[in-house]
Amino acid sequence: MKQKVINRIIKITLIIIGLTFLFPLYWMVNLSFKSKSEVYDNPFGLPKEWVFNNYGDALEKFNFLRYLSNSVIYSIGTIIITILLGSMFAYCVSRMNWRFKNTALTYVSLGLIIPVQVVIIPLLIMVKNIGLKDTHLGLILPYSAFALSSCILMLYAFFRTLPRELEEAACIDGCNIYQTFFKVILPTIKPALATQFALIFMNTYNEFFLAFILAADDSIRPLPVGLLNFFVSIGVSHWGQIGAAMVITSIPTVLVYLVGNEQIENALTAGAILK
Amino acid sequence: MNKNYNSKLAIFIFAFPTLILFTAFVVYPIIPELIISFQNNDGFKNMGYIGLDNYRSILMSATFWKSNANTILIVAISTCVGLPISLLLALLMDRQTEGVRRFFKLSSVFPAVLSVTVIGQMWIAIYEPQWGVINSVLRSIGLNNLALEWLSDKRTVVIAIAVAFLWQYIGLNALLFYTGIKSIPKTYYEAATIDGASFLKTSIKITIPLLQDVTKYLLVLSVLGCMSQFAHVRIMTAGGPGDASRTVIYELYYRAFSASDYGQGCAIAIIFIIECLLFTLIINKFVAREKVEF
Repeated sequence: MKQKVINRIIKITLIIIGLTFLFPLYWMVNLSFKSKSEVYDNPFGLPKEWVFNNYGDALEKFNFLRYLSNSVIYSIGTIIITILLGSMFAYCVSRMNWRFKNTALTYVSLGLIIPVQVVIIPLLIMVKNIGLKDTHLGLILPYSAFALSSCILMLYAFFRTLPRELEEAACIDGCNIYQTFFKVILPTIKPALATQFALIFMNTYNEFFLAFILAADDSIRPLPVGLLNFFVSIGVSHWGQIGAAMVITSIPTVLVYLVGNEQIENALTAGAILK
Repeated sequence: MNKNYNSKLAIFIFAFPTLILFTAFVVYPIIPELIISFQNNDGFKNMGYIGLDNYRSILMSATFWKSNANTILIVAISTCVGLPISLLLALLMDRQTEGVRRFFKLSSVFPAVLSVTVIGQMWIAIYEPQWGVINSVLRSIGLNNLALEWLSDKRTVVIAIAVAFLWQYIGLNALLFYTGIKSIPKTYYEAATIDGASFLKTSIKITIPLLQDVTKYLLVLSVLGCMSQFAHVRIMTAGGPGDASRTVIYELYYRAFSASDYGQGCAIAIIFIIECLLFTLIINKFVAREKVEF
């Protein structure tokens, strides 16, 4: 009986804490429908007077579609490069026979302890020097380089559990190593690749620091940086428009998360059980 | 089959692109960084080598040490307050029905998947002195003199930022702990159940010791993540009021890009790399020395 009461209390506590995580979502939607003055008088309740043109006003100054497309370009570009190169490298280290493979793996895992922030100055100079400043590639390449380490380590762990029979069969069928890898191996490790896809997408789509410094030109800014610039330009007075911009920015993420939440949870927690 | 797997050409094609990309953008930049840290460099050209002057002026400057103190405060709050709460949430979650768990998992990861700009701006609203959540609550329970201007008060600004950061990742960390708990084989609990051990006892004697791999992983992740904290500071206060809430990386950014001194910026970066390595070494030395095998 006592156990039951305690369980009930824990249940309610967890639900309340869960709701506090959702509160900002509610609040930004709420603010986005309020007039400039109502925010001050009635910050939490439902709007007394629903103002819809916050959205229109925000979209006039906030070039959402451009920032969104930039964010998508960065994410997809980084995903393609990282997964292609990372899976090839991980496969090569786990299956092929060469002298320095363990050294190479250790070398690549250095990336886990070098935070991207520390190399920002030389990175900026390099990107300028090779003519990639203010191009999408100027961000995609550093993103991919920094995403490679964890991608390789996770795929390497996955490859080690993969039985070799498949490859032997492919070999008997006369496949060369490239055919084996692209036609037999890659389709087999689809679940692991899907996890990587979700993880790299989340990290790149929300990345702030590199984008803030390397994407100085407005035409190539991704959403997080574009949104900050909008906030700075509008000041802190018009919370209705700020709320509207936040809602618009969050809609794609919320949709992606609601559709793929199990995939994303698996991806985000994959590192915890990595041995 | 072995012929395929010994082919030098294939090995080259599979491994070389990664090695080049990784070296070029992750490892190589440390070399020019070291070189620039000895230069008087304004971002456009090198105006001469000045030996250790950059390091000297960094180590002598009060703002640099202030930024270190701020960073360590954020690290301490996130690891000493945030991680235990996450662990507790995970332990509680483990004992609940699937429905509650599903809801809690879904909602707790939300802050971590939303853009940091949205979260930062949301917290500006939460801390808003006149109508923000915190001050409204404080006023409604009569604590008017506690209703501070959280983000423009030098005493509270760093803690306020740390709390926002902590809140954003506390749910995700709980989920990571929970994933670890789930991977513990049930056989470990059978004896405890027969003996009628309490929740508290099983948690302390069985679950937490077996979680040390996850704990270590989260410690490294959380310490390194907080140390390189920049986005929340930039969005919520831009280092202010004055320079009160600058973190080390913000100080690096400020010296290099606002004060146009790449030399000092690089010197901070080199000092910061050493600090990160130290922290990682300390964690590796003192936490989870034995590997847990199930």
